[in-house]
Amino acid sequence: MRAGEGAERREARLAWRLVAPALATILLIALFPLLWTVWESVHLHDLRMPWLGRPFIGAANYLEAFRDARFWGALGHTLLFTGVTVTLELGLGCVLALAMNRAFLGRAVVRAAVLIPWAIPTVVSALLWRFIFEGQTGIANTLLVEAGLVRDPPVWFIHSDLAWVPVVLADVWKTTPFVALLLLAGLQNIDASLYEAARIDGASAWRQFRYVTLPLLKPAILVALIFRTLDAFRVFDLIYVMTGGGPGTSTEPIALYTFNSLLQNLRFGYGSALSVIVFAITFALALGYIRFLGAGLTETRA
Amino acid sequence: MCLGLLLALGCGRAPAGGPARGPAVVTFPGSVLGAEGQVLRRQLARFAALRPDIRVVQRPTPDAADQRHQLYVQWLNAGASDPDILQLDVVWTPEFAAAGWILDLDRFHPATDAFFRATVTANQWHGRLYAVPWFVDVGMLYWRTDLMSAPPATFADLARVASHAQAEQGLRYGLVWQGARYEGLVTVFSEYLGGYGGRILDGGTVTVSSPAGVRALTAMRDEIYRDGIVPQSALTWHEEESRFAFQNGEAAFMRNWPYAYALMEDTAASRVAGRYAVATMPAAPGGRPTAALGGAQLAINARSDHPDAAWAVVEYLTRPEQMLERARGVGQFPTRPALYAEPALARALAIPPAQARAIIEHAVPRPVTPVYTQLSEILQIDLHRALTRQQEPAAALAHAAREMQALLDRVGLGEGGPGAGR
Repeated sequence: MRAGEGAERREARLAWRLVAPALATILLIALFPLLWTVWESVHLHDLRMPWLGRPFIGAANYLEAFRDARFWGALGHTLLFTGVTVTLELGLGCVLALAMNRAFLGRAVVRAAVLIPWAIPTVVSALLWRFIFEGQTGIANTLLVEAGLVRDPPVWFIHSDLAWVPVVLADVWKTTPFVALLLLAGLQNIDASLYEAARIDGASAWRQFRYVTLPLLKPAILVALIFRTLDAFRVFDLIYVMTGGGPGTSTEPIALYTFNSLLQNLRFGYGSALSVIVFAITFALALGYIRFLGAGLTETRA
Repeated sequence: MCLGLLLALGCGRAPAGGPARGPAVVTFPGSVLGAEGQVLRRQLARFAALRPDIRVVQRPTPDAADQRHQLYVQWLNAGASDPDILQLDVVWTPEFAAAGWILDLDRFHPATDAFFRATVTANQWHGRLYAVPWFVDVGMLYWRTDLMSAPPATFADLARVASHAQAEQGLRYGLVWQGARYEGLVTVFSEYLGGYGGRILDGGTVTVSSPAGVRALTAMRDEIYRDGIVPQSALTWHEEESRFAFQNGEAAFMRNWPYAYALMEDTAASRVAGRYAVATMPAAPGGRPTAALGGAQLAINARSDHPDAAWAVVEYLTRPEQMLERARGVGQFPTRPALYAEPALARALAIPPAQARAIIEHAVPRPVTPVYTQLSEILQIDLHRALTRQQEPAAALAHAAREMQALLDRVGLGEGGPGAGR
C-alpha cells in the first residue's frame, strides 16, 4: 500500500514536471501580457506626452471610455456587424452544407471550390470588394445601373448606412464557406438510418430537418457560432482596409478604435483600458455560449 | 567637433573594440529608396570626403509618415541615443521638442533669416529652433491653361469657371481635392479656412468653429452637393486619385502638392501635359490665399552622443548647393528664398521658381503645438462627418472645437495653462 502511494506521488510529481514547460509558456505568452495590459490600463501612459509622467490613475481610463461617445459608437458598430454577419453566415452556411451533403457528380470539386474565398487573405479580399464598390462608376454600380435597379448610383463609402453593405458582403462572402464546412462535418456524423426511420414513420422533409438534422447538428452549430461570433467581434483588417472606419467614424469597430488609441495615438493607458474591455466582453460571450448552448452540447454527446 | 570627440570619449560610448580616437559615428534614418536615396547617398559621400572625422551611417526607415512617426516615438521614449539625426514631418517638431526628445538648435547659431519665415515658425517651440527646414511642400491650385487665361482669385470665381467648364467643355469634374478622412483633408480645409480668414488655433484657444470656419466648411460642402463641381467620390480620395482625375483631363482644377507637377508632364501617362499651371488657392473677401505647409526638417536627438558631429551633417545637408541638388534630383523645393533667383533652380525644377516662390510666400503652418496630430484626428472625423452630410458644418465644428479644447486643457496647453509643463 505505502509503496503504491509513494509511486503515485512520484508519478504526480513527474506529471507536474512534464507539464511545467507548457504551463510556463502559457503563463508567459497568455497571462503575462494580459496582466500587463490590465496594469497599463490603470495608469496614465501617453508615449507622446512624457511630461505627464506615468502616474497611477485608478479607473480613470475606464471612466473616460464609458463617457466617450466614440467608444459607445464603436461598440454599437461591432455588435451590429457581429449580429448581421453571423446570422447571414450561419443561414447561408447551413444551406450550402445541406447542398454539399447530397451525393452528386463533382461533389469533391464543389467542396474544394467553395473554400476559395476562405483561402484568400482578408486584406486581399477586402481590397477586391473595395474596388468593386469604389466611386460612382465602380463594378457594382455599373451592374446596378445596367440592371435598371438604380438610376443615380451612390458612392457607397460616403454614406454612413450604405458603407456597411460592401463590408458585410465581403465578410459573408469570405466566411460562409468556413461555416458551411463546419456544418458539413456535423451533417456527415448523422447516422443515415435515422432518416430512414423518419421516412418510414412518414416524416416530411421539413420535419426530418427540424427533428433529426437540427438537434444532431447542434454541436457543430455551436462550434461555428462561437468561432464566428468571437471572430466577428474582433473584426479589424476587413474594415481597416475597406472604409478605415469611415465616413466619419460610422463603420469603426471597437478593435479599430483600440488600435487607433494604442498604436496610432500611442495612448498606452487608455488603449489598454479599451483592450481590457474588449477582452472582458469576448470572454463573457464565450462563457455565455458554453453555458446556454453547452448544456445541449453535452446532452447530445452523452 | 573637438567637443564632439571629447563627448564621445567622455561618455565612454565609443564603439566597443574600436580605437579610442576613431571617427564619430552619426546615424541617420531616412529614405534609402529611389532617386531620393541616391541623392542623399551622393551628398553623404561628399560629406565624408570633407569630414573624415565623422562617419554617417544610414538607417532605412519606413517611408509612410505615420509608421516612421511611431518608430521614432518608440525609440525616443526608450531614451535611445541612436539615431542621432531625425528627419521630421513639419507637424512633429513641436511634439518632439515639448517631449524633450530633440535638441534646441539655437546653441549652434543657425542662420534662420536665410529660410522662409513660415518654415522657421513651424520648427520653433517656445521661441527656440528645434529643427532645420530641409525642403518645403505647399498645397497649390493646379489650373488648366487651355480652359482659362488666368487662375481664379476667389472661390466664387473658381466655382463659376469650374461649372462653365463642366457645362461647355463636357468636363466630368470642376475641381478635385483630397476628401478622405486623413491628414490631407485637414490640409485642404486649412487652405479654405485661411481663404475665409479663419484659423484652427489661436494660442491655447481653439477657434476653428468661428464664423469663418463654418463658412469655409460650408463652402467645401456646397462645392460637392450644391454646385456639383467636386465629385462625391472625392470624399474617399487621397492625393493620387485626384491626380489621376486631373491628368486624365477630367477636371478643370485640382488642389494638390508640388509632386504632381513633374509627373503630369509625362505625355505617355498624362493628357494634360503642357496645359496646366499652378497658383495659390483662391480666397474669399476678408480672407487671404493660403497654402498648407508641409515638408521635411532635420533635428538632432537630445540623447545623441555626438551632437556636434550631427549638427555638422545637418548644416551640410541644408546648404544651398545641396538643396539645389535635391531640387534637381527629386524636385523638392528649397527652404531658402534666395535660391529662387538662381538660374540653376529654374533648370532643376519643373515648376517655374517664381510661381513656386509666390505660393510658398502664402504658406501657413498648421497649428504649431505638441498635440497637433491628436487635434488633427479629432478635426478629420468631424470635417468628414460634415462633408458626408452626417452633421451640419456648424455643429460638426462646434463638436470638434469642444473636443480639441478639452484635449488642450487636459494636457496643460489650453488658454492660461502652464505651458507644456517644462
